[in-house]
Amino acid sequence: MLWQLIINGAIAGSIYALIALGFTIIYRTVKFFHLAHGVVYTAGAYLAYTVVRYQLSVAGDQVSVLGWMIAIFVGIFGSTILGVLIDRLVYYPLRKRNASNLIFLLASFGVFIFIQNLIQLIYGAQILTIRTGPVKEGRHFFGAVITDVQILILVVSVVLMVLLWVFIQKTKLGKAMRAVSDDPVAANVVGINPEKIIFISFAIGSALAGVAGILISFETNIEPTMGFNAILKGIIASIVGGIGSIPGAVLGGFFLGLVENLGIWGIQAGWKDTIAFVILIIFLLLRPWGLLGTRTERETI
Amino acid sequence: MEYLLHILVIAGIYIILTVSLNLIIGFTGLPALGHAAFSCIGAYTSSLLALNLGLSPWVGLFIGGCLAAVSGIVVGYPAVRLKGDYLALATFGLGVIVYSIAKNWVSLTRGPMGLPGIPGFSVFGYQLSEIWHYLIIVAFFDFVTVFVINRIVNSPFGRVLRSIREDEVASLALGKDTNRHKLIVFIVGAFFAGIAGGLYAHYITFIDPSSFTVMESIVILLMVIFGGMESIEGSIVGAVVLVVLPEMLRFFGMPSSIAAPLRQMIYGLLLVVLIIKRPQGVMGTYRWR
Repeated sequence: MLWQLIINGAIAGSIYALIALGFTIIYRTVKFFHLAHGVVYTAGAYLAYTVVRYQLSVAGDQVSVLGWMIAIFVGIFGSTILGVLIDRLVYYPLRKRNASNLIFLLASFGVFIFIQNLIQLIYGAQILTIRTGPVKEGRHFFGAVITDVQILILVVSVVLMVLLWVFIQKTKLGKAMRAVSDDPVAANVVGINPEKIIFISFAIGSALAGVAGILISFETNIEPTMGFNAILKGIIASIVGGIGSIPGAVLGGFFLGLVENLGIWGIQAGWKDTIAFVILIIFLLLRPWGLLGTRTERETI
Repeated sequence: MEYLLHILVIAGIYIILTVSLNLIIGFTGLPALGHAAFSCIGAYTSSLLALNLGLSPWVGLFIGGCLAAVSGIVVGYPAVRLKGDYLALATFGLGVIVYSIAKNWVSLTRGPMGLPGIPGFSVFGYQLSEIWHYLIIVAFFDFVTVFVINRIVNSPFGRVLRSIREDEVASLALGKDTNRHKLIVFIVGAFFAGIAGGLYAHYITFIDPSSFTVMESIVILLMVIFGGMESIEGSIVGAVVLVVLPEMLRFFGMPSSIAAPLRQMIYGLLLVVLIIKRPQGVMGTYRWR
């Protein structure tokens, strides 16, 4: 039982970590809470679903490997475009006006509500599934069960985290992103265009959200409201790990997944969200800079 | 006609919510995204007291408001320590926690099944059941709310609230106890929101957690932004317009599977457009950044 809970926690944690990573990449350059990130995640899952369903309606009951590849590509690419579009249409005018973080937060809330309900209008409120074949029995592992899809989720997320880390630390573009994150004005002075870096951040972050959405759609079902919980958990993971810190987002994601799943050992599963938010409030009040973050002016008062 | 009166009663309940939220967010500048949680506490307290102990709804309403005010202290505590979007997130989190307690504490609240058969108001043993009775009750509470909050914001106390919003360090330097002011604002706002929740419960006679989601808090906030921060008249207009506007969709004969998401889409779009194009709202003058 304990092993099973730890495995469930690690799987949930890797999805949280992916969302938190995408959120953090964006947060580092723009410094506000991009809530609409959650709906980008939903959109990725629904786009992949649409492509798979289309192939099923054309070619019968089987989807080829190439077909799956196309679906995954469309999902990721679509989320990337959506994320960049949100930035251009909504955040760009606010940035020009020098709006406060709170204004950005509320605007992204509006975007979130709008797109989530647009998806609900198109696909309906019911639960959909992307899976085609029968559900395969999982592998046994120290008395716990883990399915192939869950192994895929773990592997893909760990690989993406490592790649992202290398990208941020070793490449020139990653260096420019770190520069804008640390001091946008100084970065501008040395010839880095902040708008370009913001564009790239939104593209990478939104692509990560798309990957997370598609992965979770293989594991469970999809519904229009799935993004809400996802982004809240992503934000909680980021804050627990230390907002703006990339290793922090990963650590926070796994921490949150494990605590949530181990926490329900004694009580009902419905209390999962309560556990997550109690953790958030505790961290906001006692350690707002998180586990790995550094204490700054902004968080101290 | 019945339907029209019903819409007016609902709009009246929202007026209490928007005006009390405006005190917190518009006048004092504290971003509270969990206002529905206070009305949830008020609604459940009053309903459970009436159902389990047979207490009069009038007393229950007051106790519900007081309990919501106590929870306002709990929310006000982070407000003393956090700022801006961090405070927004904390109040948001508390909103989710209250919602999830209402949903999961099944032995007390019956969870998602909700509480049916909540008794209505009665006066001297005479049961009030007509809709216009409730319209009068709600109008009375609207009047009390607007009167009290108007007095608060136009007093020296209210000037301190504005100074906290504009420059907290400066008001601290003038010897104002800003933390105490923030806490009182949360207590007052939460009390009225609790009353609004109680009114809703005794009017509809059924409540379940889905009426008090965080989305509901955002709708109340949208009404405040629509009317204009720091404008009580604006909040009244915002509440009425945004309750009536989506009801128009019904006249086009839309099934609820389309009307419900469409209504939310209007709210979302309105929020974005207002923030980008007209942050001071339709009636307000204060431009917040």
